[in-house]
Amino acid sequence: MTASDKTRSGFWDRLQRIDRRWVFLVIWLVVMLPLIFPFGIKPKAMPPVSRLFSYIDTMPEEKALAISIDYTPDTQAELHPMTIALLRHAFATGRRVGMLSTQVYGLGLGEEALRQVASEFNEKATTHEDSVINGEDYVFWGWSTPFLTVMLGMGERITNVFPVDYYGVTTESLPITPHIKNFNDIGIVVSIAGSSTPLSWVAYAQTQFGIRIGCGTTAVSAADYYTYLNSGQFTGMLAGMRGAAEYEQLLADKLAAAGSPLSLRRKATEAMSSQTAAHLAIIVFIVIGNIGYFVTRRGKQ
Amino acid sequence: MNIANPLTPEGIWVWVAAILTMAVFSFLYRENPFYRFAEHLFVGIANGYAITFYWHRILVPYLFSPVSQGQKLYLIPIAMIGALYFTRFIPKVSWLVRFPIAIALGYGAGASIPRSVDATIIQQLKATIVTRASFADWQQGVWAVIILLGVICTISYFFFSSERKGLLKPISYVGVVFIMVGFGASFGYTVMARISLFIGRLQFLLGDWLGLIR
Amino acid sequence: MKRQLPLLIVLVVGIFAAAAFLIPHPIVRSVDEVFRNDVLRIIAAFSLVLGVGSILRHHFIKIKRKAAHWPFSYITIVALFISAIIGLLGGIDPNRPGILPTQVGGFSFHIQTLFSNIMVPLAATMFALLAFFMASAAYRAFRARNFEATLLLAAAFILMLGAVPLTRIVIPPLPDFAEWILAVPNTAAKRGIGFGVSLGIFATSLKILLGIERGWLGGGGS
Repeated sequence: MTASDKTRSGFWDRLQRIDRRWVFLVIWLVVMLPLIFPFGIKPKAMPPVSRLFSYIDTMPEEKALAISIDYTPDTQAELHPMTIALLRHAFATGRRVGMLSTQVYGLGLGEEALRQVASEFNEKATTHEDSVINGEDYVFWGWSTPFLTVMLGMGERITNVFPVDYYGVTTESLPITPHIKNFNDIGIVVSIAGSSTPLSWVAYAQTQFGIRIGCGTTAVSAADYYTYLNSGQFTGMLAGMRGAAEYEQLLADKLAAAGSPLSLRRKATEAMSSQTAAHLAIIVFIVIGNIGYFVTRRGKQ
Repeated sequence: MNIANPLTPEGIWVWVAAILTMAVFSFLYRENPFYRFAEHLFVGIANGYAITFYWHRILVPYLFSPVSQGQKLYLIPIAMIGALYFTRFIPKVSWLVRFPIAIALGYGAGASIPRSVDATIIQQLKATIVTRASFADWQQGVWAVIILLGVICTISYFFFSSERKGLLKPISYVGVVFIMVGFGASFGYTVMARISLFIGRLQFLLGDWLGLIR
Repeated sequence: MKRQLPLLIVLVVGIFAAAAFLIPHPIVRSVDEVFRNDVLRIIAAFSLVLGVGSILRHHFIKIKRKAAHWPFSYITIVALFISAIIGLLGGIDPNRPGILPTQVGGFSFHIQTLFSNIMVPLAATMFALLAFFMASAAYRAFRARNFEATLLLAAAFILMLGAVPLTRIVIPPLPDFAEWILAVPNTAAKRGIGFGVSLGIFATSLKILLGIERGWLGGGGS
């Protein structure tokens, strides 16, 4: 081995044993800077996202959209934008919404999402028809346990599963209840989850009652769920923040085409610049790590 | 946008959330008392939150309300079975905890067997089989054939009942190729997921707290 | 009595639960509905005792033994009791407060406020830490040592690049190719693995019902 080979090998060796906090710092900067100085890129919806969007958009008018908040605060960064986008889509098209949670920690997130989106629409509303009203246009059934009680019971009678809604109001007394009695009145249940709950919806609700299931999932689980998309058990799927961004884009295009005055903040789309930069940084890290590995291995040989 | 004002009722909570966020991030430098404080606080609040909803949304509407009105009195013995969970902390009678567990576990296992077999085996098998209908669109037909072959090869890799030689050897190796591509896809998406979680926190710190982004 | 009776309960309840799906008779279905809504739900609600009880016991023991970092256990215990009291007495709907007021002037300390401003940032940030550890691990350990590892790495790169919108401008076919990887070879692999997992779950469920799998009984009281 020549002296220059040794020097080169030493450099790569040191680079491989660099304090991991330098890696942390690079990741922090790579994600932060594009958030402050974004490069506007329009996401294009992939088939799993556009399938879900089109189904919800075109399902019969009287069918409600059910959103199951099956995620908890730890994955809310990825999944919460999906809930917001789905609620906006439903409210913008005048569709009734029923929201529930199979996770106790999902309740607060569902409440936040409904409060935010309802106020976005109500701020612009000029008539009663334009407004989005709790108990009339949407209902937050809340949470119950165990999950199979919810999934099977909703196919029979929803008010038996949720005698009171999240706010403690008797569900039988709500004006929306005669329109959403059980799965027959629901077009699709979209389960947004960081766990395998969407599969439980398929196993319990779909197998027994034939209800359509849509899935919003963390990117970690998304690759595993393609097999359920392929079999048609999931009508569509939003995979991670990217899936949420694509749904936001489809909705923005639809609202723009309809000349809607709504201008809504799109958090997932805003994140795409950082996501791009971070992916490139990770790839660079892996490439550098591998070059170092092969150079030092050759040096040792 | 400006930095959140800590002297307003909303602003003070933004500051609390930001300080707690930074306390957790301080772990990246090294473990420290701020992180430990945040960790312990989280466990406490999470349990308090759960107690609230188990009480207000399960025990009150399904147990205490009907029973106090003289309805569904059969719920009293059921509640007593449920209360056996407390015996878990009394060593002499801790075996009594098996009764509520037995009911929940038995129902869960029994209910899942037929439904899971249908959803995760029968429906998946149906989707794997290639029929003439699969070729309604020729491209989809080709993909369906690749999926069928990939499934067979993948399963054959996990076939440990006989020695891997003869035809099984190349088939299981093709299975490895499919598995590696699948794991690579999962890894790529895991990177995306983890980065998204960090972006979410930065959106809060830079937006809601510091007002640097809208 | 201590072992055989719980095993018998599992078997009987399990057979009933399976039968309720397979026998669509109105009587069976209505008994099943009552069982789910009343029996199962009440029992599930009490299961919280296990979680909360274990946490409290763990921290009380830590304090008693003055174990490492024991003063922090007070944080957990105090936070648990305060948030539970606020939730139990303050109610869930801020517009219909309970016996404890949860707002002083404009300042709210309602259970939802604690959730949004304490629980959400803490949980979300703890998981956000994973981004850093994953990056560091990828840098140090992800090596293309052989053909299989290289394949894994290549698929991961394609997915990472294909998942972001910029790639559609720089390398237009890549996002569609990434989607194809997910929809075809990835689906084949995951379905093959999925069959094994599903059969494993099926076998375990059956073993629980038949009393072959008894780990859940725990120790003691034979």
